[in-house]
Amino acid sequence: MSVTYLDNAATSFPKPARVYERMEKFLREEAANPGRSGHRMSVEAEASVESARALIAKFIGAQDASRIAFALNCTDALNMGMKGILKKGDHVITSVLEHNSVLRPLHSLEEDGVITLTKVKPNKDCVINPEDIGKAFTHKTRLVALTHASNVTGTLQPICEIGKIVRERGALFLVDGAQTIGVFPIDVETDFIDLLAFPGHKSLLGPTGTGGLYVGKRVEEITPWREGGTGMGSENPTHPEDFPFVLEGGTPNTVGIVGLAEGLKFVYDTGIDVIRDHEFKLMKQLREGLKSIKGVKTFGLDSVKQSTATLSFVLEGLDPADVGIILDQSFNLALRSGIHCAPLCHEFLGTFPTGTIRVSPGFFNSEKDIESLLNALRQLTKQE
Amino acid sequence: MSKDISRYQRQYLFPKIGEERQRKISSSKVTLIGCGALGTVIANTLVRCGVENLTIVDRDFVELNNLQRQVLFNEEDVENNLPKAIAAKQKLEKINSQANIEAIVADANYSNIENLVKGRDLVLDGTDNFDVRYTINEACVKHNIPWIYGGCVGDQGLTMVVIPKKTPCLSCYFQSAPPPELTPTCDTAGILSPIVNIVSSLQSMEAIKILSGQIEQTTEGLYSYNVWEKRSQVFGTKQEIDPECPVCQKEKFEYLSGDKGMRTSTLCGRNAVQISRDDQLKIDFKIIAEKLEHIGKVTSNAFLLKCDFNESGKDYELTLFLDGRAIIKGTNDISRAKSIYSKYISV
Repeated sequence: MSVTYLDNAATSFPKPARVYERMEKFLREEAANPGRSGHRMSVEAEASVESARALIAKFIGAQDASRIAFALNCTDALNMGMKGILKKGDHVITSVLEHNSVLRPLHSLEEDGVITLTKVKPNKDCVINPEDIGKAFTHKTRLVALTHASNVTGTLQPICEIGKIVRERGALFLVDGAQTIGVFPIDVETDFIDLLAFPGHKSLLGPTGTGGLYVGKRVEEITPWREGGTGMGSENPTHPEDFPFVLEGGTPNTVGIVGLAEGLKFVYDTGIDVIRDHEFKLMKQLREGLKSIKGVKTFGLDSVKQSTATLSFVLEGLDPADVGIILDQSFNLALRSGIHCAPLCHEFLGTFPTGTIRVSPGFFNSEKDIESLLNALRQLTKQE
Repeated sequence: MSKDISRYQRQYLFPKIGEERQRKISSSKVTLIGCGALGTVIANTLVRCGVENLTIVDRDFVELNNLQRQVLFNEEDVENNLPKAIAAKQKLEKINSQANIEAIVADANYSNIENLVKGRDLVLDGTDNFDVRYTINEACVKHNIPWIYGGCVGDQGLTMVVIPKKTPCLSCYFQSAPPPELTPTCDTAGILSPIVNIVSSLQSMEAIKILSGQIEQTTEGLYSYNVWEKRSQVFGTKQEIDPECPVCQKEKFEYLSGDKGMRTSTLCGRNAVQISRDDQLKIDFKIIAEKLEHIGKVTSNAFLLKCDFNESGKDYELTLFLDGRAIIKGTNDISRAKSIYSKYISV
């Protein structure tokens, strides 16, 4: 019996077939080092990377593709952004909903005495009130770092309203797009985003080991945390300051980047609205189904359209860790249980440290998959 | 400079040893993996009889219930919460100051086993589970090092010498570990100390033969002994190498590469470790519940079995799932969790 994968918030699986095919072809026929050597293969590899960059720029409304740097993953991009711009004395505003990829770099900068930090709490539905962000400002606030949607509850955040406030107050706005890019539209211009970190392996449907950071024009200076070969300006003793090279020391993950581009092309060809509507349909079925199961408690805003295709729940009297294993072992359902790398969110929800069971279907899941999960939960809750 | 071997005179007086072979024993290098019941007797015997370079690897700490049979430990070690490898080293150095004892407090597994066995003349098995034994078997076959298997529970013991490519290896006899329902452990079925002494003495005897350069004198087959009934049996001969053996004939080392064996992960924020197995089991909770009944409170349903128990003053909760997976709450120490799993569920 094959496994029903419902853990797309961690990484999407499967990928579109064309992603596998494109990556194989690239590795077998085209994988020269981009831009390092003058030969045709190198030039072609560079062109593949640059066309991927251009495609992403178009997708997020960035006017200058060179302001997008490829990264290892969203964590890498967030680190690049936050550590690259923050200076001693800066104040940062973030929220308790964040993933450790935002929290840990900020906590360590705080512990090192570089920044001061304010963590805003959302309302009971896990939505951050933009006014609370405004209220948290001090005269030293340099950055507001927020997730577009909680990776625990899936609840979308009003980034546009928040972005507007941040812009008015003269600070920089960093958005963690891990859970939304590829399904929910993000426009760095109209959403007032200065830095957008994103993974390539979630809803962009690319492989792991990919991601990127968009750095807007309002960011005047960014210090790279990785310096080295770039394939340009090699005669200079120090790392170039030009985008995207400033953030891209070392040979990039070319095969991953072409896979990411192919995933994004699939999103374009299928239509982001079609993908989202499919996920909405599954989540509607899931939310309604869970309501009829005794002892289920869900978290976050109970709205299909104001959430990503991610939902956290607990079953009364059962440890989420046990439920996760039983679903995998007895029902062939792959879900994540625990605290999902977002400890403060669980403290806020009152689910720390046992956490929740998280369901996150993707475009390749069907209604039958959701029904399998609901059936399993019905059986499970009948036990004792 | 020639070492003083006079202290071993009573041993080399025996014609089959003699001075020259005694020197060979004293200059040999041995690794002992697992220093519990079998391991302490083996270490005690070998260090007294002249094995002067011994590496002891064990992940556990001395507990009061060990003293019934683990001869190198005492109540002070329990009070001091000493790792078994360290407590053993301390005793052995007092017994024989000429000996070089290296104590390694670690879980022997595929990531470190090759370093633990490479360059040794012999490896001795004092472990309590098949997962490690298969790993030892593969490492020793790969590096062509003889090793001596030993195991006992209740009144029963088993031992076997493995000389890679010359005698059957562990995988020639047992393709895979028996399922937990069929595997009693000392902690679930009890253990009589005389069987420990017998099996480890037999292991030690074979070790002395090998270390003194008389590998051809080692005994054949898998030797089984029941101490209560004073009854022995030997299965197989040196010649019965399985021509299809994946390990010693085909050199497919699945435990060494990490493809097979126990997998562990700590659960974030939980003081708990999850253990998974590579084999697809379908566990009968009824039999396991009977095994665990005297350990602690056991509850089960169609999907899981829970056992709450106390060990050395610490509370643990073991949750076992149908495929043999488990969550052990009460520790985030992976070695400790593996040890608990081996003791109560077995692998």
